[in-house]
Amino acid sequence: MTLDWGVVSRSWHLLMEGTRLTLGLFAAAILLATVVGLLLAVMKLSPIAPFRWLSTGYVWVFRGTPVLVTLFFAFFVLGRELGLSPFWSGVLGLGVDGGAYKAEIIRAGILAVDPGQEEASMALGMTKRHYMRRIIIPQAIRVIVPTYMSNAILLLKATSVAVGIGLVELTGITRQLSNSTFQPIELFTAAAVIYLALTTALVIAQEVLERRFVLKI
Amino acid sequence: MDWDLVWESLPLIWKGAGATISLFAWSLLFGTLGALALALMRLSSVKALRWFAAFFGWLFRGVPLLILLFYAFFALPEFRIGPIDGIFLPAFRAAVLGLSLWTAAYQAETIRSGLLAVDPGQEEAAVALGMTRRHYMRRIIIPQGVRIMIPPYMNLAMTLLKQTSLATLVTVPEMTLLTQRIFSNNFQFVEPIFALAMLYLAMTTALLAVQQVMERAFRLRV
Repeated sequence: MTLDWGVVSRSWHLLMEGTRLTLGLFAAAILLATVVGLLLAVMKLSPIAPFRWLSTGYVWVFRGTPVLVTLFFAFFVLGRELGLSPFWSGVLGLGVDGGAYKAEIIRAGILAVDPGQEEASMALGMTKRHYMRRIIIPQAIRVIVPTYMSNAILLLKATSVAVGIGLVELTGITRQLSNSTFQPIELFTAAAVIYLALTTALVIAQEVLERRFVLKI
Repeated sequence: MDWDLVWESLPLIWKGAGATISLFAWSLLFGTLGALALALMRLSSVKALRWFAAFFGWLFRGVPLLILLFYAFFALPEFRIGPIDGIFLPAFRAAVLGLSLWTAAYQAETIRSGLLAVDPGQEEAAVALGMTRRHYMRRIIIPQGVRIMIPPYMNLAMTLLKQTSLATLVTVPEMTLLTQRIFSNNFQFVEPIFALAMLYLAMTTALLAVQQVMERAFRLRV
């Protein structure tokens, strides 16, 4: 087998352009997913029943359907109605889908804080706003960070699905290059290495964050 | 939204359900077998086996599934080493290969952490009672490990079912591909996509029900 790795260096600038788009999709989608997830988590913990139902229904629908189908909806239906660019359709689809997962992670983190902490804060005369900010949230974040970050890695990999709506991110550009050069082994291996580098960087970020939020006694 | 069109799309999309379900079933089967082997290697006393399993997990969990599918479909035919003159897999088999490798890498972690989650005191007690390793693994550790594994295992199975939709990008005629075919013919997008989402939702909800039945079957009876 003669592999010609020169094709990777010749198309490097295109692969990097794809990587930039992948990272752009990831950054915008995770921001949207986190906002949606926070909102859903607060709704799920709300005393108002319809809010809880809405949140439960949302999570059921988006965890039960493939992200590709959500992207189709965002691109072919909402994108056309609202005149969104393919990039923003992709962000919308990935973010709306990711929000359902983030909601569960955030809710689990808040519920994991010992209820005695809330009782003690109230006994000390703290207001809800005060003890949420100073007592509950700092402890919840410690529980949330590991699962949030491993979910972020899944979202980074899920950006590749945007190929399905024609976005030319890293996976898309690799497929195009492989079709035009007939060198799929070299190009897909290069794409795999770039993805591995990105996901490994996120794993390192996770460890740094976990250390940052570790309990200091 | 035109409900008649949703209704008309359903049977057309359902024609791909067989492909979706067999992609899911074969990949879950092969993936679980691979995962069992990897989990045992991870827990083995042979260092090389542990490294191999850890490397496999890092590689296949670090790369998007779609890259695995494209590799199996586009790159394997170009593989020429010695007597091998390219590995040509039809779309369906290429998809099963990619999905199985993905499943194996993730389920290996489920199985390993399930076995590790069993209290080590259980093993010590079994040894103290004179049980052989084979005996206490089968009667003490595995039954308890399985109970812990069911929720994450089924959760991943549900993800796998949804991931089979990516096989459309390597031209497997499953539900998503048939849906694309419908809307690229009539340019009515909402209705077929809605019908497709409902079918997936029905399937994943059925899997959730299976999970509940399994959890009940393996529940601790005191």
